[in-house]
Amino acid sequence: MRDGLSFRDVLDGAGLSRISSDPRLGRSDRLKRMKEELRRLRFPRLARLEEEIQRRVQEMKFGPLIQISFPPGLEGGGLSVRMKAASHAELEKSVRELAESLEKKAMKEIFELLSGREI
Amino acid sequence: MKSFCPSEVIVEGGSEASPIYRNLKRALPGVPFVHVADIGEAFSTSDDPFGEHKQRLVLARHKGDFLKKCPGSDGQVCCNYFVINFASNCPMECSYCYLQEYLADNPALKVFSNVDDLVAETHALLSRHRGFFFRIGTGEITDSLALDPYIGFSREVVPFFAEQPNVLLELKTKSDKVEGLLGLDPKGRVVVSWSMNPQRVIDADEHLTASLEERLAAARRCQEAGYKLAFHFDPMIEYPGWEGDYRAMVERIFSVVDHRRVAWLSMGVLRETPGLKRIMRRRFSSTRLLSGEQVLCPDGKMRYFQPLRVAMYRKMLGWIREASPTVFVYLCMESREVWEQVFGFAPSCEKELGARIAAVTRY
Repeated sequence: MRDGLSFRDVLDGAGLSRISSDPRLGRSDRLKRMKEELRRLRFPRLARLEEEIQRRVQEMKFGPLIQISFPPGLEGGGLSVRMKAASHAELEKSVRELAESLEKKAMKEIFELLSGREI
Repeated sequence: MKSFCPSEVIVEGGSEASPIYRNLKRALPGVPFVHVADIGEAFSTSDDPFGEHKQRLVLARHKGDFLKKCPGSDGQVCCNYFVINFASNCPMECSYCYLQEYLADNPALKVFSNVDDLVAETHALLSRHRGFFFRIGTGEITDSLALDPYIGFSREVVPFFAEQPNVLLELKTKSDKVEGLLGLDPKGRVVVSWSMNPQRVIDADEHLTASLEERLAAARRCQEAGYKLAFHFDPMIEYPGWEGDYRAMVERIFSVVDHRRVAWLSMGVLRETPGLKRIMRRRFSSTRLLSGEQVLCPDGKMRYFQPLRVAMYRKMLGWIREASPTVFVYLCMESREVWEQVFGFAPSCEKELGARIAAVTRY
């Protein structure tokens, strides 16, 4: 109703058609990708914002001991940072890596995106 | 705004001596009054009992407490507000109205006849806590003024509130039914407030309510009669072109009313529980409200995703500040994080916000 499209239009749309006809995808991957595509259609700005944030997280190339995540639907306005360390040296390395990321443009942009300044 | 004319008034035994009964008899001479010993359970065979019950008015004694603390919403910043329920349900039909779910099991459009008990209970509370400044509203489970021309409630209670040193009564409405207020002297103790939306939203989703211009004309009349005013931009709706409509509405409000008489403004976006969403789909199948980008929030309500609604609040706040740099603005049912992102601060507790709101209206 919002986009003036019928169910058929949505199902026949380029994104879903591409997924449903992709021979490389198994049944479960196909279903997963279709759900993601439907979510993108239903929540276009939210999905775009999540992708923008995810892209910036990847740009910062954190090592495997640091995980950055954000809440579903971006509710709460914050990032979660998780660090794993098996030694003092590992922890020190991760803390340094994280501290360096504070100066990166991508990190600043993430908070801009989370606070609605880019909408 | 169309006048309300119920198909009948059902009067429960014990309500005939009430001033509300007398007012109803006088205001609705052509409407049948049915007297019953006990109103019992609201019964309906309609497939839309909530809508059907809006057609008839029940007058009954209220057996519990009239005054309650506003329940707010779990985990959200609350404004320490009290509510008086002098009636239940509402003759208007907003598609997003939470009463559709809240009153689903008790949908009768009911007015309580024992106003003397309401006044006595309020007086006892205010007298017990003279050091505390109360803000009390009557628009939680009904509209404060939509039924006023028929029941004359404000005429019965405004003189009482006008004499109290530690209270501000808020009458919140989407109607233009202010005649009953105009001859009374509120003595600074009564705020008349309107829920405001652009005419496009009123046409689509606020059925049977007053138009934007009718609400503004009523606000102007109340201002001239000595009342303080307030406006609630709640629920704010996001749709293509919303910015132009809301900006024009803010400019229009401040071109009609004197900003110095505006006690406060509030903002809140559309929110509904998944249960209300199902009811809205059934009762208002053509509404476009449910196609917004809403997500489930920790308090169990759907709202536009946070960066989107923060952006909406910021824009709205900017337009308000252009028109009135100093008017007090607060958010309704929002989290501390959203407060921080919109205003740069969040009240430390509900008492702080309540006190801030009270401070701007006390003298």
